[in-house]
Amino acid sequence: MIRWLRPFVFPALLLAALEIWARTVGAGSDAVAPPSAALRAFAAALVDGSLLAATAFTLGSAALGLLVGGGLGVAMGTLLGLSPRASRLGFVSVELLRPVPSVALIPLAMLVFGFGLRMEISVVAFACLWPMAMLTQAAAQQVEPRLLEVARALQMNAWQRFAWIVGPAMVPRLFVALRLGVAIALVVAVTVEIAANPNGMGYAMMIAQQSLDPALMLAWLLWIGVVGFAINAAATWVQQRVARRMGEGRP
Amino acid sequence: MTECVLEFDRVAIHLGGREILSPTSVRVERGEFVCIIGPSGCGKTTLLRAAAGFVAPSSGQVTRRGQPITGPSREVAFVFQDYGRALLPWRTVARNVALALEAARVPAAEQPAHIERVLATVGLGAHAGKFPAQLSGGMQQRVQIARCLAQAPELMMMDEPFGALDAMTRESLQDELARLVREQGLTVLFVTHDLEEAIYLGDRVLALRANPTPEQPSLAALIEVPLPKPRNQLATKEHPEFLRLRRELYQYLGH
Repeated sequence: MIRWLRPFVFPALLLAALEIWARTVGAGSDAVAPPSAALRAFAAALVDGSLLAATAFTLGSAALGLLVGGGLGVAMGTLLGLSPRASRLGFVSVELLRPVPSVALIPLAMLVFGFGLRMEISVVAFACLWPMAMLTQAAAQQVEPRLLEVARALQMNAWQRFAWIVGPAMVPRLFVALRLGVAIALVVAVTVEIAANPNGMGYAMMIAQQSLDPALMLAWLLWIGVVGFAINAAATWVQQRVARRMGEGRP
Repeated sequence: MTECVLEFDRVAIHLGGREILSPTSVRVERGEFVCIIGPSGCGKTTLLRAAAGFVAPSSGQVTRRGQPITGPSREVAFVFQDYGRALLPWRTVARNVALALEAARVPAAEQPAHIERVLATVGLGAHAGKFPAQLSGGMQQRVQIARCLAQAPELMMMDEPFGALDAMTRESLQDELARLVREQGLTVLFVTHDLEEAIYLGDRVLALRANPTPEQPSLAALIEVPLPKPRNQLATKEHPEFLRLRRELYQYLGH
């Protein structure tokens, strides 16, 4: 019981220190608020529904962006990984587009889609596309060569080789790509909301800051942290479930 | 009454500009167990891979029942030395065996009976639901042999299949392989670097030498093993004929 509590000692001390500091040195400041006030602001946002609505918007657009960008990325990475010709043809285009910072696309996305869900999805999708494509390409190229010989010995056609050998062999590395994609999607979604899109958690945090409500701003900041932690934990859980079904980690 | 299933006709193989195997001619009869032996780099694995259609000879040709080999065939099964890499880690033992049946488009309804029979043959009946990582090395190699048997192959190519196993496991798998070959009438090409294993298992032993020259071609010797069958780890290995063959091969390989 005590042992289980140990990792929480440091965060608790930090919060207590912040509480004391905000109530003494920083009292009357417009920039800081004690955690207790942030908690009250959090409860108010939860009750009036703004918390759920903003969270749903951010997570929804991050998920859809990941779906579009990740889907395209995995498809593109698989093609680039399995076909040396596609890899040679696409090399220059990929290397030119890949370093473009995704948030630099916000002005263009606003021009094309205006404010709202589609604009945010497009920027998230672009951000997820490249790293996931690169990791998928590596996954497709790093299939155990011996298994490809087994496929040859059994005279498999291209489709069978992919469905029975290459595809399943890629799965562990695809999960690495997915976990990276999940993290990128949340970061970029919140960034787009802070920078441009008047929706979601990032925008709510910005509004709190601009209306000199540091308690609410802190509440949002902590909540975004919690959401990010929960999403990463969920992705890890799914990864372990799948790994177990595929025979890993059995005695 | 013999029937030639595999013929090497002046097969030579060059890799990276170097002659690995100088022109070699051998005929393999149906039901025969031929062991290929030689030092590292003598081209024994390459010869096997040419017979399986993985590599094309640089000159000469390999024919199976008179037809030139142009590529791998499901009628030729290949047992790799590194069983750990040749099995699909995400499939259970039964599903690994099923891979051969799926590739041969055996109807799904008929697969379980095939799998059960093949796994029983190699003594893995109780482990069908396990994953390869849950099995010992010897058992993993049995899975690979089971998958090859499921192909119902005309020829079985084995590339140092027991080379990575401990001595005890190796001997029990040798005896099991000998029994399988006897029961199923398999034709086997078996590469090994172990002289005793070659004599113990083989009907004939093909000795290759490394760095062939026109005076000293790759084929150092092709000798018959007239030891009675079934063989036995103790009696056979103490047989005077066994010892004589061992000494003879030892000299051929230039020790």
